[in-house]
Amino acid sequence: MKFRTNIEKNDKDSKELNVLIIDDNEQITKMLTTFLELNNHKCIVANDGKQGLALIQENHYDVILLDLAMPEFDGYAVIESLESKGMLKNNKIIVFTASTITQEGLDELVNRGVSSYILKPIDIDLLLSKIIQSATS
Amino acid sequence: MIPIKYILFLVSGVSSFIIFYMGLVNYITAIDGVTGIILLIFATAVSAGTLLSTTYISKSITKPIEKLAENMTEFSKTNKIINKKPINTNIKEIYELNTNFESMGKKVEETISMQNEYVEKLKHIDKKKVEFSSMVSHELKTPLVPILGYVQMLQKQELMGPLNNQQLDAINEIYSSALKLQKLVGDILTTQKLDLGKLVFNNENIQISEFLDLIIKDFTPITHLKKIQLVKEYDANDMLFSDRDRINQVFSNLIKNSIDFVVPETGQIIIGAKLDNQSMQFFVKDNGVGISMDNQKEIFKKFYQIDTSTSRKRDGSGLGLAICKGIIEGLGGKIWVESKENIGTTFYFTIPIHSMSK
Repeated sequence: MKFRTNIEKNDKDSKELNVLIIDDNEQITKMLTTFLELNNHKCIVANDGKQGLALIQENHYDVILLDLAMPEFDGYAVIESLESKGMLKNNKIIVFTASTITQEGLDELVNRGVSSYILKPIDIDLLLSKIIQSATS
Repeated sequence: MIPIKYILFLVSGVSSFIIFYMGLVNYITAIDGVTGIILLIFATAVSAGTLLSTTYISKSITKPIEKLAENMTEFSKTNKIINKKPINTNIKEIYELNTNFESMGKKVEETISMQNEYVEKLKHIDKKKVEFSSMVSHELKTPLVPILGYVQMLQKQELMGPLNNQQLDAINEIYSSALKLQKLVGDILTTQKLDLGKLVFNNENIQISEFLDLIIKDFTPITHLKKIQLVKEYDANDMLFSDRDRINQVFSNLIKNSIDFVVPETGQIIIGAKLDNQSMQFFVKDNGVGISMDNQKEIFKKFYQIDTSTSRKRDGSGLGLAICKGIIEGLGGKIWVESKENIGTTFYFTIPIHSMSK
């Protein structure tokens, strides 16, 4: 995986991506922001689903990282809202979760139009390669 | 089965008929008409009396016994004494029988309802326990995200700057400890899912030979490091339809155990498979310290750790083999161990050629 990432990174290094991170855990968003900025991408953080949804409706992001387990308005709610507005497939959403979602659950999300998923704890190389893959697909 | 009242009526009916018949015979054969009539009247009265007293006995004895029998039948079905029919009797034995039955029934009813209450309480506690450990493992996983993220960033020195050797060593130690913690949390979650029957299997076609090669390749770094031989003993071309990742997890747990129990330099681990009827029988064989008979009975239990203070210290959750057993049984197979102390251990497990999806 590391090897593939490096190849892709060399190809795409020039392109700065605009990434929206939706997660209620500030330590996680800070880590992800640090990592992505070190890789020359731009990050915007939303700390809950409602805020995230509002940002998605107003702006365009190359990739959206969405945590599924959040209090109140969670990742599923964001996906449902976007789906009902017909906006799910226009956005490149990568869901990430530490909760015990089944493979079938993840496959179902992908079938509905989510572009990819990654399980916590996150392998940052894998994450970066998924972000680049989603943004360029 | 004949009801008691039929027997009573049969006996009294026959005896009154005989008495009446004898009276009739006496009447016909009597020398003197008056004596004959007296005898006939007497016989008629006696037989009528017999029938009447039978009716009385039937009412006062058999009726309450019948009711009692019905109550008992009802009780054995429902375990409830409330629906019983009332029994009125002047007969001492029946009265005692009924009273004792009622008090026994009440006690049984109370015991059962108490038991049900306990079962409900236990179910509730068990549910809370599962919810709690699921919450705990989720909460433990979350802080691991930034820990592992930053460590990985530091390890890639091009991102956050170069580290000296001591710093790099420290970071590598943190990384491997965090991975251990992650594995532990994962094991606890898997065990929970097995307990709840919630582990989902994703079956696919597996080419055995290639599958075993990949397992060996995954372990190459560590077997090289410890100078342990890990080899394949399989040259057929069988296919299996089952859960690749889960069987891989079983192999991985067994091989890790073997690595801990063999001696570096001379250690040898052989993995292989053999088609046996409708199942694939896999094995992981080592020439390690072996497992005593006492320990062999216990090792598949949760949180069981062989006391290895005399040989070597191990770290692990004590969940590995319990998880193996759970996965294999979930896939419809069996796992067992054969071992001799100081000679080696072989774990065998079977997986049906075509595992059912659950």
